[in-house]
Amino acid sequence: MPDNKLKIGIYELTGCAGDALLIIDCEEELVNIFKAANIEAFLMAKSDNNDEVELDVALVEGSVSTEKELEELRKIRKRSKALIAIGICAGLGGMQSYFLDDKDWAKNLKAVYGGVEMIHAKALPSKPIGDFVKVDYFLPGCPIGKEQFLSTFARLLAGNPPELFRFPVCVECKWHENDCLLNKNILCLGPLTAAGCGSVCVNHNLPCVGCWGPSEEANRTAEYKLLLEKGYDPALIKNKMANFSGTSITQFFARLKGETK
Amino acid sequence: MKKITIEHLARLEGNGGVTATIDGNVVTDVKFLVNEGPRLVERLTLGKTPEEDVNLVPRICAICTLSHKYAAIRAMEKALKVNVGPKVKLIRELMHLGEMVESHALHVFYLALPDYVGFPNAIAMASKFPFEVKIALEMKQYGNHIMKTVSGRYIHGENPVIGGFGKFPSRDELVWIKNRAIQFMPFVLKTVKLFAELPYPDVPESETLYACCHPPDKKYGIVGDEIILSNGDIIDVQDYKNLTNEFIVPHSFCKRSQYKGKPYSVGALARVNCLGERFEGEARKMYKKYFNARWTKNPLFNNAAQALELVYAFERIPGVVDEAVKLPDEPLVLYSQKDGKGAGAVEAPRGTLFHAYEVTKGLVSHTDIITPTAQNAEDIERYCYITAQKLLESGQEEKIKDRMDLVIRSFDPCISCSVHTVQVKRAPEEDWKTKIAALKTDVSPVIIGIGSPGHSDDAVGLELARRLRGQGVKEVWIEDEALEKSGAREADERRPLLFLDAVDFGERPGKITIMPLQHAAWNAVLSHRLLPLVTSQISFDQLKNSYILGIQPASLEDGEQISEPVRLAMEQILEQLKN
Repeated sequence: MPDNKLKIGIYELTGCAGDALLIIDCEEELVNIFKAANIEAFLMAKSDNNDEVELDVALVEGSVSTEKELEELRKIRKRSKALIAIGICAGLGGMQSYFLDDKDWAKNLKAVYGGVEMIHAKALPSKPIGDFVKVDYFLPGCPIGKEQFLSTFARLLAGNPPELFRFPVCVECKWHENDCLLNKNILCLGPLTAAGCGSVCVNHNLPCVGCWGPSEEANRTAEYKLLLEKGYDPALIKNKMANFSGTSITQFFARLKGETK
Repeated sequence: MKKITIEHLARLEGNGGVTATIDGNVVTDVKFLVNEGPRLVERLTLGKTPEEDVNLVPRICAICTLSHKYAAIRAMEKALKVNVGPKVKLIRELMHLGEMVESHALHVFYLALPDYVGFPNAIAMASKFPFEVKIALEMKQYGNHIMKTVSGRYIHGENPVIGGFGKFPSRDELVWIKNRAIQFMPFVLKTVKLFAELPYPDVPESETLYACCHPPDKKYGIVGDEIILSNGDIIDVQDYKNLTNEFIVPHSFCKRSQYKGKPYSVGALARVNCLGERFEGEARKMYKKYFNARWTKNPLFNNAAQALELVYAFERIPGVVDEAVKLPDEPLVLYSQKDGKGAGAVEAPRGTLFHAYEVTKGLVSHTDIITPTAQNAEDIERYCYITAQKLLESGQEEKIKDRMDLVIRSFDPCISCSVHTVQVKRAPEEDWKTKIAALKTDVSPVIIGIGSPGHSDDAVGLELARRLRGQGVKEVWIEDEALEKSGAREADERRPLLFLDAVDFGERPGKITIMPLQHAAWNAVLSHRLLPLVTSQISFDQLKNSYILGIQPASLEDGEQISEPVRLAMEQILEQLKN
């Protein structure tokens, strides 16, 4: 029976499946999510998935790391009015995009899988989905947050675009009345990291590891210099900044290289 | 030749598939495929600090996130000589139990039960099973609540660190967790009844070896410094490679594990098989009531074993809380060790998980992670093979697809977790010619003709071998010689073997098929002549690379004549095998 409910598909490419799991973790709301919209495809939750239907919104988790995934992603894009990247793997490439240089990636691939020739399918260096198709919105996080997802879902039902925090974790940290760890000379990535997690690590006396990916307002150069002044090793700072930034760190590294020349 | 393909296995965490290839009434190929792309997790941890490693590796898998964190922490603390206090150990156990409750509740009710009651998903199931769906949700929610309380988040919480916790949960939080566990007990016992009494079909029953962590003090448990096997063997976790023996199979590009040349299973069913006698309280009562011989050989009982472990978890949680609240919070244990080597193992909900590291000058210099699904992959394929073959033999071909789906899902495989796995797609329709061509490009195989003379077409293997010899093909053995000359082959025991034999696979006479030699070890029909050769002569490597080239006979009656269609097949094979 035709109805006017939003048609939504949830898809997983390469990643930990944490963003899809987070949606399943919306336990109390899950039944209502399935009632309020037509969930046409959600491989983790159901086996009667429709992979042909035109979608209003596609939510895509995970990075592109094989040719088959790329093909799948293009098909999803084609039949979706809006496409939302969920989580930092889809949005930025995730931790698996750490080898930014394709040659470096190929060398490491060989180190893991030896001389075995991959005749079945071609692996690609992990890249964010936005490198291949138009991404309308990006929900950051590793994984995405429950509040963030539910508010986005509700806004979509009402025909509105997602509305996300534009500020870094530091703002949430202040809301929680935490002492600044940088003032205690602890390497914290709060100033660089997109808010939404509720400053959970700092609330637990631990430094932010940057898992929500870079904040729009982030001033990486300033933090880099500050940490150098505090005596941190440049390689360590760069690793920490890169761990969850995916390919988005490339420009900063290029700029840094230019400045230090 | 026809193929049954389950392209996307739904209701799994991650993305995987399976293919069974059928020729006549034999299964010639079963492949358990993982479509996840490579993430090179082990490589990207190199050069990072131990703390960064512990941040990164849980991202291998969202559902086993805390098991990965815990295994990594155990390995790092071993490497860096960090000893934590009793409260840290108890709170870690609590978070680990929370993950088990979350994962098992999700798996048994949401992912497995719909298959047995005929619904596509748990939400649809709610109309007929409102109680089960609701309780499942509450149990899962409770497990999640524990994970969030202890780790800081539902998924990828960062609070557990090397040396302890950033912050301990408060007394009130712990007491709430304890009381809620007690409230759940009546429903948990019902859960065991439900899952132990499900009508599990007896295909695919087959004995296997089970392995799990060996907890101390003769208690049931989900961590340990040793591994115990169902045959009684004990292995130190630091020597984990003696259990896992990772190898690469040429057809799937997925690192696999085998113990002493045989596949083994890990997971809830393995734990119950190895440690079930250690259960206490209600878990012991339920174990005594329901455990029987079928649990030792039918992977579908993993659902029942998971339900039994829910009882264990819900009984253990109040005890953990009682002990923990008596102890003061312990400060983070700091360390100065910059170099070291260590392995750590925990029981993830779906089986034993190993992390091993080497740290040099404060940075990770070697990482090895072996996940439960990678260890189960061999047995998953084997049980799928048995399922397909048995159903085919009993004329129930239409059931193969759904049954294999059931078998795979019972292992609760976590596919995003398969860190070693490269994307693989369905095998192309290789016929025997292309497979033989591929075999020959590497090293030329040793050809062994087998059969019985005087039984018409049953002599075809022997006849072929003789004629190949006559044409100057080297390294061709005839059945009896192969047994006698085994010494001569020891030097190159990695070389593939190609057995030539009449195989009745219910096809038109003269049809040629090729299948992995390993199938002979799994299939009585194929093994009557081959098994003595396979078991006594062949190394594991050789077994994995070898094939049976089978020709459908027209007749196996007494007689000296080889039938016309089989003669034609012989000519084709001769053409293909001569140099």
